[in-house]
Amino acid sequence: VKLHRLRVLDFGTIAEADIEFGPGLNILYGPNDLGKSTLADAIRLALLLPHTSTHIEEYVPWTGGRDPVVELTFETGPQRIWRVKKEFRKAGAALLQESKNGNEFNDVERARKVDGKLRELLRWGIPEPGGTGGGRGLPTSFLATVLLSTQSDVAAVLKDSLQDDASGTGKERIAAALEAAMQHPLFVALRRATQARRDEAYTDKGAKKTARGSVFKTAADRVNVARAEKEMLQRAVDGSGSVEHQLRELVTRRGHREEAVASATERLAMLEQLAAAAASRAEAAGRVALAHDEVQRIRKIGADVNEAVQAVAVLSSAVAATERTLLAVESHYAEAAAAFTATEDNVRAAGSDPAMTDVVARQGLELRKARAEQAAREAHQQIDRAVAAQRLVDAVVIAARDHPSYQRAANVAATALADATAKQQLLDQQLRRSDVLERALDVRAAEAQVALAQAAVDSDTNLRAQLDRATTAREALAARRSAMTVPEASALVPMRRLAADLAAARGALNVGLVVTITPHAVLDMRIKRDRSRADATSTAVPMEIDANTAVDVEISGVASVRVRGGRRGAQKAAEALEERWTREVAPQLAAANVGDLDALAAAVSEADRLDADLKAGDAALESLRSQMAALDGCAATLLKATERAAASRALLGDTPLETLAADLAALGTDPLTTLRKRRQQLSNDLHTARTTASESSTAHAVATERGRHSRATLDAALAARDAAVADLPGDPASALAAAQTALAAAIKEQQQIATELAAVEHTIAAQQARIETALRDARTAVEQARARIELAQAAKTRAIADHALQAGRLGALQTQRDAEDLSSAENRLQEATASLAALPIPERAKAALDEIERDIQRTHGALEQVGGAVARDRLRDVTEAFEAAERREREIEADYEAWSLLLEQMKEADAAQASSLGQVFAPAVADRFETLTQQRYENVKLTAQLGTEGVVVGGAVRSTERISVGTREQLATLYRLSMAEYLSTAVVLDDQLVQSDLTRMDWFRALLAEKARLFQIVVFTCRPGDYLAANAMAAKGKVVHKDTDGGLVRAIDLGRAVRRR
Amino acid sequence: VLRLLHTADWHLGRRFPSFPEEAQKTLSRARMNVIATILDVARRNTVHAVLCAGDLFDDPCPEPDFWAGLARTFQDRTGPHPPVFLVPGNHDPLMSDSVWAPGHPFRARLPPWVHVVDRDDFSYELGPDAILYASPCRSRAGEHDLAMTLPAREPGDSRLRIGCVHGCTFDIDNYQTNFPIGRDAGVQRGLDYLAIGDTHSFRDVTATASVPTVYPGAPEPTSFDEPGAGSVAMVALFRHGLRPRVVPERVAFWRWIDRRCHDLDELRTLLTIPNLDRHVVRLHLDMTVTVAEESEVDRILRDLQGTEAAHGRAGVLLVDRTNLRLHPGSGGVFPDDLPPVVQDTIARLDRLIADASDEVERSRATRALAHLYKLLQNQDTIGVRAQ
Repeated sequence: VKLHRLRVLDFGTIAEADIEFGPGLNILYGPNDLGKSTLADAIRLALLLPHTSTHIEEYVPWTGGRDPVVELTFETGPQRIWRVKKEFRKAGAALLQESKNGNEFNDVERARKVDGKLRELLRWGIPEPGGTGGGRGLPTSFLATVLLSTQSDVAAVLKDSLQDDASGTGKERIAAALEAAMQHPLFVALRRATQARRDEAYTDKGAKKTARGSVFKTAADRVNVARAEKEMLQRAVDGSGSVEHQLRELVTRRGHREEAVASATERLAMLEQLAAAAASRAEAAGRVALAHDEVQRIRKIGADVNEAVQAVAVLSSAVAATERTLLAVESHYAEAAAAFTATEDNVRAAGSDPAMTDVVARQGLELRKARAEQAAREAHQQIDRAVAAQRLVDAVVIAARDHPSYQRAANVAATALADATAKQQLLDQQLRRSDVLERALDVRAAEAQVALAQAAVDSDTNLRAQLDRATTAREALAARRSAMTVPEASALVPMRRLAADLAAARGALNVGLVVTITPHAVLDMRIKRDRSRADATSTAVPMEIDANTAVDVEISGVASVRVRGGRRGAQKAAEALEERWTREVAPQLAAANVGDLDALAAAVSEADRLDADLKAGDAALESLRSQMAALDGCAATLLKATERAAASRALLGDTPLETLAADLAALGTDPLTTLRKRRQQLSNDLHTARTTASESSTAHAVATERGRHSRATLDAALAARDAAVADLPGDPASALAAAQTALAAAIKEQQQIATELAAVEHTIAAQQARIETALRDARTAVEQARARIELAQAAKTRAIADHALQAGRLGALQTQRDAEDLSSAENRLQEATASLAALPIPERAKAALDEIERDIQRTHGALEQVGGAVARDRLRDVTEAFEAAERREREIEADYEAWSLLLEQMKEADAAQASSLGQVFAPAVADRFETLTQQRYENVKLTAQLGTEGVVVGGAVRSTERISVGTREQLATLYRLSMAEYLSTAVVLDDQLVQSDLTRMDWFRALLAEKARLFQIVVFTCRPGDYLAANAMAAKGKVVHKDTDGGLVRAIDLGRAVRRR
Repeated sequence: VLRLLHTADWHLGRRFPSFPEEAQKTLSRARMNVIATILDVARRNTVHAVLCAGDLFDDPCPEPDFWAGLARTFQDRTGPHPPVFLVPGNHDPLMSDSVWAPGHPFRARLPPWVHVVDRDDFSYELGPDAILYASPCRSRAGEHDLAMTLPAREPGDSRLRIGCVHGCTFDIDNYQTNFPIGRDAGVQRGLDYLAIGDTHSFRDVTATASVPTVYPGAPEPTSFDEPGAGSVAMVALFRHGLRPRVVPERVAFWRWIDRRCHDLDELRTLLTIPNLDRHVVRLHLDMTVTVAEESEVDRILRDLQGTEAAHGRAGVLLVDRTNLRLHPGSGGVFPDDLPPVVQDTIARLDRLIADASDEVERSRATRALAHLYKLLQNQDTIGVRAQ
């Protein structure tokens, strides 16, 4: 607690006061009766007295007036500033506020709850108001007395203790402060570290921390995240499993359905076979019926034929009659023609018969016309031959001209073909060579791998040998080292120190001795000086024995005398050191088989060197093992590489690798790439060459064919030309001209004849028409009869043929009909039809199959959504993570529970150590008290409950009642200051040292100034000079206070801060 | 000879949730780093093509870091490069919004020699006499054999025919819905080599058949039960009808080992494993130790795992302490010259152990002793003041 400000209204004799405290030593001074003790009481009442308590009555002015009001601002820690305001008496009020900055306060508690909260903050051993042990007046406790005791009993603390506190909070607080003071630094560090680890996980009250960032929260979050992800994926996998199960079921059902469909299809095929058989029978029956109808039809045709034959015979008669008529007409015509000829002759002879003349003229004209036409035709033919001959001549010329060029083209194509073929063969060879080289490279690469693998195997063998040697060397070193038993090098230092101490102790005993023996008779003695061997001697005269440290005299039969140098303490010290030497050093020397520490040091050095060698050997061994591990599997690699080399060599075939060396060397540093490029180039070239060869071949064939064809054409043209020219009367051109002239003459003759003939034709047409009419009639009748006969004959022939055909078919059908068992087929058909009706319709089965297929597709779509194997993979990962997180959470929990337990046990052990508070606290008071009294008092005795038993004077405890008042007040002040220092809290001293002399006041002034740096001290005094230098007091005027010593000392003039009634 | 590099199951973007955060990053980064190694191996072996048979990403829509990182790895390759074929698998199926979709920015960043198999009828002529057929997964699960969707060999076709799909052969659990691949699919489709992906260990499924069907395995292992992971398959095809040569080539940086230690010596031996810094170690402590020995266990674990001030000797360490048991009681391991209050604390804990009614109490008190022992062993870290 540190006081900030005190404001008082109508409190006792004070009408108003307002005091601001400094952080260190506050000297509040003023004359007597100013109200200093009232202000001290105001602080006490503000902190301890419930505002409704009747205890306030003594502070209510007897003159009446307003109720007393006290407002105290104080601090309990960084940014924990409190302001309590109490308006006392029944109608009063209480308010407790809190602030972080001392300016802005927030209400915390009101009325009666204010005191509960204050007592919780102070932890002075005062119970909450209203509880058991809480009186109605001003509550008190040991700490209240220590920190706020009144002027009326400045030494009250020496009569008080924790024994009577109504609550344990005061004791707990003091114990905690004293524990912290008395703890071992190692324990403090251990406890602090343990507390820090425990606080990572638990709150002050021991509950698990669950805020964001806490270890449990982090671990739980990790588990929850993993669990959520796992559950999500589990659902996906379950979904997958379900869908997959469904899919498998559907696939199975599809299989069954497919089997059903196949079975139904098979049965359907059988039924269809039966149906086909039945249909065949039905068709056969139909064909029988058809054949029967056909026979009937053919028979009818036979009858028709007979009828036709008869008709033909009738027609033949008619034809014969017609022929006869025709013969008669012809005869008549012959007669008429003969008459006509005779008439013509007559006309021609007489020249008077115009008709005959016309006929003769016409005949003459026709003869002329025939001749003219003949001449024209011949002329045409002559022209055609001439033109053809001319064309042949031209063709021969062209053929003769083209033929050599075709021959040249053929020759060129033949040459190109030969070149391309040769190039192709060359490229083929190179390509094969390239393949061989690639295989050779494979062989080389494989052999290089073999060499590398062999090198690795050799290296492995070498390393194994090295490992064996190193292991042997290390074992030798280890054997040497294990034979040595030496302490740690660090142990030599205490040994040497012990040796030095021992030498010093022995030196202290080395004082030099002279033992004088004065015998009264002859004495037989054995005398031992220092560490020398005992010497026997016999004497009857006095003798002196010199020694450095000890003399042992054994007088035979009388006594043994031992004289040792040095004081007893020195001897004991030497003996203790000797004993330590024997216990601690001698066994080490014996174990190391050495005589002194130098030899032991040498042995230790030797052992260290061996240890270093062993460590180096271990490092070398580890290095060798790691090198060997790197070669692990080299034998297998060698075997593989060897197999690969053999395989590569087998692929290379019989070609010796050496023969390829030059070619391989020519491939440069990256032979495979070079070879691939070359092979690619060769492949391209080969492709080009093949294309060229193919084109050349085609060109050659074309050219050859053209040449051959050209030759034949030429030969044919020559023959044709020669033949054509031979038929012509001259050369083709003149023959053509003559023929064209003859053609023109013939055409002219034809035109003239045609004109004359038209006139004659008109004349004879009438006569000719009449004759032709008669002939045509007879001829028509004969033709008609002949046609009828031909028709009848054709019908008869067709009927006979049809009859024969139909009769054959009828026979075949009858045979077929006899071969079929119609009734049996009909029965099977009926059975099959019944079975068919009983069977599932394949289309229906197929529809069901299709439905299943659609279900499969749908299910498959669902499966695609849920994830399948992907989800399973992820679930496996997340499950691992989840389990790891759970393990980690359990580990963390166990870990922090252990930290908590450790802290608990540390606290208990600590509390047990600090159970006697008096033992811990007394030295702090006693040391200062001794100093203050200049060692007049040796110690202060305090009880376990911090009660003061008394002071120790001359080894005896004297009650504080028996020491002087001033000294008692000083002891009480030291007690209170020490306690305030331990608790780091303010202490109020109300004219505590009025009985002290100047020397002790000076001492106290220095002490207060020093302690003011550590905690707040409030001193009320009427003698400011006891505490302050003159220049440290508030200057005259209105200034209430003055700070000095860097603000650590504040002088407050209460005469200015307090307004009395 | 037609040389191919066959890889699969990169699982870029895969998470390792059971590992500590830093280790997760390390292991995730390793998946990206190994791709550059794979491409180096491809170039060094002058392969004609690199076939990547699915599950290249762990998710069809990976974080941009992963697809951008992969694109950058490809872009960083300078000079001519053999074609690389990326086949979507069941972890990263080809979907409209997936990284393989033609409109995805990942596609725009790929060099021209990287080909995404984004058609069911994908084919590519690897040369005049060799052709690649591939088909993508279009969902996370499927019951269709993608290998059987590849075109069959036509009569008279004597070219080398290579197939590349993702799926699961019939001898693996749950294959039915994980794009099952028949063991004779390669023969049925007239292929000379069938490159597949899914299983993370290298395996020639048809080791005795004429057409190899090969899982190359994940190039970096993804768990402790993948002994054959960490390789790619180097394939050499000679001519149609002659069985190609298939050899695994290691590319992984990390080795994953699972160790169970039954005493301190076994634990110390762990430190002698060569190249431990390239190992992912899962350590099961199955032993009973004193509180002093537990302190030694912790020291070795710190040595393996590293601290903020020093790298651990193991690359990644995962410790299972479930079966690490403590001998109950202090067992005389504490020094005699401790302050009385500390000795009293130890005695109190020993009494608690002796009087414990159940194992939980006994274990808690023993663990408290172990805490105290470790604090005493590390006095410099808890700020002990000189007396």
